Amino acid sequence: MMGRFIIRRLAVGGIQLFVLIIAVFLLIRLLPADPVARFVGLNASPEAYAAAKSNLGLDQSIPKQLGDFLGVTGGDGLLQGSLGRSWVTGDAVAAEVARALPVTLELLTYSFLLACIIGVPLGVLGAVRPGGAADKGTLVFGLFAGSQPEFSWAIMFIFVFFVVLGIAPGPLGRLSPLTDPPTAITGFMTIDGLLAGRPGVTAEAVRYLSLPVLTQAFILSGPIIKMVRQNMAEALQADFVLYARAAGLPERQVALSALHAAFAPSMTLIGVLYGFMLGGAVLIESVFSLGGIGQYAIRSILAFDYPAIQGVVLIISAISLIVYLLIDILHAALDPRAAL
Amino acid sequence: MQMQFHYVSRLLVTVPWIAISVACGPIAPDRPSEATLIYLAEDVPAGLDYDGPAAALPTSQTGMVNLMEPLIGYAYGDENEDGVALPDFETFAPRLSESWRYNEARRSWVFKLREGVFSCAGNELTADDVVYTFARGKSVSGAIPVGWFLASTAGVSGFDASVFEDEAARVIGDAVRRVDRYTVEIRVSGRNALFLPIMTTYGMLIFDSKETQKHATDDDPWAHDYVNNVTAPGFGPYCLERWAKNDMFVMRANENYYRGAPALKRVVIKRIPQSSNRFILVKSGEADMAERLTPREFSALADVDGARVAGVVGNETLFLHMNFKTPPFDNLKFREAIARALPTEKIIRNGYFGEARAWRGVTPSTYPGFVDALDEDYYDPDAARRLLAEAGFPEGEGLRGFQESLRLAYVAEKEATLGPIATMLQTALREIGVPVELDPIPLTQYGDRQLVKKDLPFALNDQEKPVVVDAGYALSLFFASPDAGGINNMVNVADPSVDAAALAAASLPAGEERAARIADGQRRLAEIVAWAPVVEYRTQWAVRDHVSGLTWHPDNAVRFADLEIAR
Amino acid sequence: MSVAVHDAPAAGDGLLKIGAIIVGLMTFLAIFGPVIAPYDPTAATDTVSTPPPPLIDWPRLFIAQFDPEIPAPHWFGVDAAGLDVFSRTISAPRTDLLIALTATAFSFVIGVTLGALAGFFRHWSTELLMRASDILQSFPVFISAMILVALAGRSGVNIVLAMTLLYSPIFIRLTRAEVMSLRNRGFVEAARATGVSERNIVFRYVLPNALGPAAAQASVTIGFAILLTAGLSFVGAGVRPPTPEWGLMIANGASQIVLGDWWPSLFPGAAISITVFGFASLGHALERRYGR
Repeated sequence: MMGRFIIRRLAVGGIQLFVLIIAVFLLIRLLPADPVARFVGLNASPEAYAAAKSNLGLDQSIPKQLGDFLGVTGGDGLLQGSLGRSWVTGDAVAAEVARALPVTLELLTYSFLLACIIGVPLGVLGAVRPGGAADKGTLVFGLFAGSQPEFSWAIMFIFVFFVVLGIAPGPLGRLSPLTDPPTAITGFMTIDGLLAGRPGVTAEAVRYLSLPVLTQAFILSGPIIKMVRQNMAEALQADFVLYARAAGLPERQVALSALHAAFAPSMTLIGVLYGFMLGGAVLIESVFSLGGIGQYAIRSILAFDYPAIQGVVLIISAISLIVYLLIDILHAALDPRAAL
Repeated sequence: MQMQFHYVSRLLVTVPWIAISVACGPIAPDRPSEATLIYLAEDVPAGLDYDGPAAALPTSQTGMVNLMEPLIGYAYGDENEDGVALPDFETFAPRLSESWRYNEARRSWVFKLREGVFSCAGNELTADDVVYTFARGKSVSGAIPVGWFLASTAGVSGFDASVFEDEAARVIGDAVRRVDRYTVEIRVSGRNALFLPIMTTYGMLIFDSKETQKHATDDDPWAHDYVNNVTAPGFGPYCLERWAKNDMFVMRANENYYRGAPALKRVVIKRIPQSSNRFILVKSGEADMAERLTPREFSALADVDGARVAGVVGNETLFLHMNFKTPPFDNLKFREAIARALPTEKIIRNGYFGEARAWRGVTPSTYPGFVDALDEDYYDPDAARRLLAEAGFPEGEGLRGFQESLRLAYVAEKEATLGPIATMLQTALREIGVPVELDPIPLTQYGDRQLVKKDLPFALNDQEKPVVVDAGYALSLFFASPDAGGINNMVNVADPSVDAAALAAASLPAGEERAARIADGQRRLAEIVAWAPVVEYRTQWAVRDHVSGLTWHPDNAVRFADLEIAR
Repeated sequence: MSVAVHDAPAAGDGLLKIGAIIVGLMTFLAIFGPVIAPYDPTAATDTVSTPPPPLIDWPRLFIAQFDPEIPAPHWFGVDAAGLDVFSRTISAPRTDLLIALTATAFSFVIGVTLGALAGFFRHWSTELLMRASDILQSFPVFISAMILVALAGRSGVNIVLAMTLLYSPIFIRLTRAEVMSLRNRGFVEAARATGVSERNIVFRYVLPNALGPAAAQASVTIGFAILLTAGLSFVGAGVRPPTPEWGLMIANGASQIVLGDWWPSLFPGAAISITVFGFASLGHALERRYGR
């Protein structure tokens, strides 16, 4: 039954992804932008323009372009695992995305860890004594943190921790630009430094990540508090809790078993949030010039780099989809009723 | 060592990371001990071929001029108040060529080359290298024919438009000829005043022909791919060590350099696209030098201990471009109204923090032949209002229909510098009744519309530097009608007397008559308000205190061989 | 999706009040901001990059304002172009709020209408609609909005259209769920029995009862729309400079922050913080009152 559930979810997800990709493909070609003018640059004559247009493949009909992109017309395309080449750099989009993606994943992973460390206890605290000062406080904090412009906080953190206090590095990227980066193995700078036997690089990477992670975790803690609080409050009203209380179990133990029950739904929501943030870390990456997938998206969009835009949207959507899928499976494993 | 301690102490106060710092010990950036200079730029060279697609990018030129040498240069004279040595544009100095003379009878220039000059590849400079360089230019085989264009402007025989139609015309023939191993003769159409200034430019740098030819292929007989992507073989003070496009460009001193091995043994040009990040790194001492900060950042850095700002009013200017073909800018009175409403002093004070001066002409005031063509009190909002009324738009009435044309375009990448200035100009123009809007557009699009389509109606431009140091050259380049050679006539001026002046500048030998004709041309341009000049701003560098010996060159590229470093 | 959780009533009422005050203030500024601004928000003054006066001087400066001879101080300082940050901050709601409100209103109307139809009528076309809105909801929001605006042209209208497209599915889904739960209620059956047409049943009887969740969502969506508008300008895909707009102001201030100029970005940043918090609080309070 589990197997059928997974297959069904995979099929639905795959179709959804396929339609999404076609939609993006058509959308960017229907909008009134002129990418050719962007690329012919400084020395364009009408002939150069025409040549550039044909180079980019934009002189072809849209079905033909779509066919090329999908890889059903003979050349390498999506079906062959190729996302095409960036019009700006000429490099394979897949390789560029593979370079940028770990940056975002590293930022998000640490941010989620930190946000959970802050958010879960606060959420639990708020739910345990409904109506108390802690409840009100966490409610307001959760609402506030969840509705903040992260880029403006990022800038203020830079001001306080870099300009005024001088304890954090400036917004220069993942390492000082003058440090020779270690060979990318995992793509996580903090781990690659250790793998390369250069702990100094890891320490530097941690320093450079501290402000972006702090900012991102602050913003993320809002929804996490809200979710944990809600799930915990629900769990505390469940029958087994009433029973446990009636049976005279100590309040601590009751809370603990409620926390256990609140874990699965909270995980789900945190997973959804993680998938969502892949495309939502854009602004923090941009302020700290981290060069992650979001910044790659910005660059590609502003440069009208169609293959790169398609690639980014595809990868981000695919990863969110996989995350959702994994969570559903996890959920189903914990609670078989969910797979029904 | 000092720096390392500092680094560690900072790390220790970063409380959450104490554990890691203890585990890992002190962190020292991998800095070599020899005389290395770290130079931060917006970009690293994108290509090293001056006939290549990247030639116009300022940093590409920085790469070229440090790897290659010209036949002649300018003599270096006085240092200015910032300690920057300035060229004397009246005096030429030997470089690869130790002497040169004009032969009236044969109508040719004869260059005697220096003996014993060796390239990075170990080849000795001979007349063949010069012939090869000119032959390469005449082949017009690159993306943009810069070499051909400059030789043609210099009046070198056979460098005319026929090369674009006729393949046979692309052969060098005897226009540039080896006389003996160290002597070369260049035939010209006459004693053109621009010839020697042109020989100093980046578009006339001499190739190491033996090394370059090694990398020629059947498809690419002039090795453009190699020069664009691997290195430019030349006789310059530096040899390329490592080049990662879009990231870094590392040069090592050429120990055979004929003027003596450079003091700086290694130069790392690192790409840091955001000016604020270049600022941080020079301020913290992690980098030694940076170019193109915003005026505000330069001004802030001047107060930083251990760093200073060195600059020169060289040839960088800011002006408004108004397209003669686009109404309402086809109206002279209207152009004049705009030009007289520009608050120069305010822009010097608030846009450049005093590091600029009013510009009252159309060529850089440091160039020979410049004419101060505007009155001291040219800025006059009342006069501007009057002119606006005379133009048929009293108080701006009737301008609503021109919204598209009244969008002031500027390069979006320069927002941090030009954005505030554009806002100040917008405010001043609105005050006299002209409803201006701002339109930041990407550099590539701006370049395309300025140079190719020539359809930008209204723009704020701070990037036109005539590469040849001569007012007459600037005049032809920017203002002659296309048929008369105005290849960068972005505002579509078409004025017979300007064309005549441009022709005189191109054909007459240096002297009083030429100077007078060029002066007339400049006055005429001021009269018809071809450009609305605003300021000449200083070309500046942020420099750590231990770096000295800066020199300024009209291409604004640093000559690293001139620098000294004291650690 | 989940049972309502009871907040502390006091906190809920407090949030409603705070939210209402903030939303009221911002609406006031959207209408009158540019009028009461002491300086033209797009005109450069004679100074640049000047910090605000120290707080201790504010009362004195404020009292001095009753003398019409004395020029207004730059309460929030002056930015790098010489623009008065205070005037821009209070003029910006006209841009930010207008865009956010319009986009939310469009999404709301479209979403509620389509959602009601999809919830009431089972038909292949409504199924298709739901699948389409699934796809739209799986778009990465910020990146998609940026694609739409950057490629279609930087303008307020295009931002509104992009957000309408991306935000409508939420309203479709919420309304559909609510309508589906109301579809078989007694009052619907009663209306049907008295011969009311199906269309009238949907729009007269069912929809008005199903608007609660969508209305609460609308307030939250306005907040997100403000964040999105500002974010787009921040990365150079929003409105054009020097329009008074919070995101654009922060972007301009961002390049000055390492020089120590905190005021060009702090004040618009705080304005966004407060405004979005206001809409979120109001949304939260409404959700509890009429919610799921």
